[in-house]
Amino acid sequence: MSEILGCEKVTKKFGGLTALNEVSLSVVKGEIFGIIGPNGSGKTTLLNVIAGLIRLDEGRILLDGRDITKLKPHERVKLGIARMFQGMRVFPYLPVYLNVELVARSIYGDVRLARARTSWALTMSGLLPEAGELPIRLTPYKLRMLEFARILVSNPKIALLDEPFAGLTPDEAEAMIGLIRKFNSLGVTFVIVEHKLRYLMRIANRVAVLNQGVKIAEGRPEDVVRNPQVIEVYLGVS
Amino acid sequence: MSVVFAKRSAKDLIVGKIPFLIALAVLTLLPLLNVGGFWLDVLTKVNLFLLVTLAIDLYSGTTYYLNLGVSFTFGFAGYSLALLNVYYGIPTEYSMLLAIPISIFFSLAILLPSLKIRGVYFAILSLLVPIIFVGIVTAQPFSLYLGGEGGLRFKQLFLDFARSLPPGVRLTFLQYSYYYISLAAAVVGYVIAYKIGFSDFGFMLRAVGQDEELAEGTGINTLKVKVIGFLISSAYASVAGALYASMRPPVTVDLVVPANTLIPPLTSVIVGGLGTLIGPAIANYLLLLTYELLWGLIGRWRVIAYMLLLIIIITIKPQGIVFKAYVEARKFLRGVFSE
Repeated sequence: MSEILGCEKVTKKFGGLTALNEVSLSVVKGEIFGIIGPNGSGKTTLLNVIAGLIRLDEGRILLDGRDITKLKPHERVKLGIARMFQGMRVFPYLPVYLNVELVARSIYGDVRLARARTSWALTMSGLLPEAGELPIRLTPYKLRMLEFARILVSNPKIALLDEPFAGLTPDEAEAMIGLIRKFNSLGVTFVIVEHKLRYLMRIANRVAVLNQGVKIAEGRPEDVVRNPQVIEVYLGVS
Repeated sequence: MSVVFAKRSAKDLIVGKIPFLIALAVLTLLPLLNVGGFWLDVLTKVNLFLLVTLAIDLYSGTTYYLNLGVSFTFGFAGYSLALLNVYYGIPTEYSMLLAIPISIFFSLAILLPSLKIRGVYFAILSLLVPIIFVGIVTAQPFSLYLGGEGGLRFKQLFLDFARSLPPGVRLTFLQYSYYYISLAAAVVGYVIAYKIGFSDFGFMLRAVGQDEELAEGTGINTLKVKVIGFLISSAYASVAGALYASMRPPVTVDLVVPANTLIPPLTSVIVGGLGTLIGPAIANYLLLLTYELLWGLIGRWRVIAYMLLLIIIITIKPQGIVFKAYVEARKFLRGVFSE
């Protein structure tokens, strides 16, 4: 199995705080890769570094073997890295369809193709009836779907999801799991940061655990939860 | 599919264009009603200030990067025109055309690096540029070449042709020709601004304003969008400045002073409704004409009365009132048409 995303000794410091300390990961094509850890462990920073929104101090980011460390975020999106942000971030004063279509226009350039992809992404995420609405009228679940549509429209190789289950009811979380599995089966690789382990552990093929910017464990979910170091980090006992 | 990208109905188009067509008809026919030279001059100025209003609204009203340097661009176009005319002997008509790209280039060169700075810092930095320019114009040795506070004198637009006309119609010809040129510039400027503002590019500008990190993170080249937006905005201010200066020599620092050429269009944008284009456009005419009307009513007290009026409007409705009123008027019109 070939690597699609590689992080090699990624280090990021904010002043005196080391948010990521020589973190290395290798995500395999077609897998669902989970990243867990307590608050402030560097999970979101790692996603931001992979997406290019934060410049790293040391290390390299590889996509399909190509060094993308110096590429800008929009260039990485064009290469196939899509990002779902923490806290349901959308363009609040643009209608739902434009939230998605602008991404498509940036990537494809061609208006017809962009619109066709937008319609497809909105249909897939169940948002076509709300296409003309402003996001403020959407429920939290629909907002998540809007973010999901934004990911789908870019036809990504790899999707970075930051807490996709936050704010969702159990039924909505199940629907989100269904969507992730569906697009994973169609070839999209997922890297998911999540606090709600009961959902993540069901779908992840492998999980990495971060604590204070350091990777302390990596492996299959059932192995990771038995790791004494992980138990200590989460429960304070070993 | 049809829900998403539905075309506007014929009724919507008619209702949408009626206010625009009425305004255009009024402005076109107004000079024929013998409104007088003073009001023709005022309306010419208001038409050209519409371009500055649009320059601010197209860029700052959508991206929320408050570019207070438009008065520099406006004035720099005027000074470029004057310098080309005075020192290189290029006729005003051609100097005016050359001044536009020169002003755009210098605005981009000076203000572009500051686009990496966000929020209030960008606004302050952009405001410093016209202030520095005023200092340069009035300080020796530059003032010797730029005319100092007295300004640079040159032949105004069409003056040579006007001199070939009988004396009684010279001034009238100049006033009418300036008015219709300014009106044509205002109409073409508004139509283009509307097309840009509500194109995919215009929505990208708005996306940058609403969440720049999200825009960049979802694939929009935000720097490119900001640079193109800034260029378009500078083009509007440059055209306005070059036309304004060509009609009202001499060129003085009054063209660059923010109180003269920034505050009026900026208040139009705020009172009109940021990023809505039509709101600031209507506010441009309402506010500037009100300001002139107040002169006849209360004389020198007009500045205080006008500023108090603005303070009250902006305090009560900081998001602007004109666009909302316009939307209500359109609803009313739509109701009339559906009956």
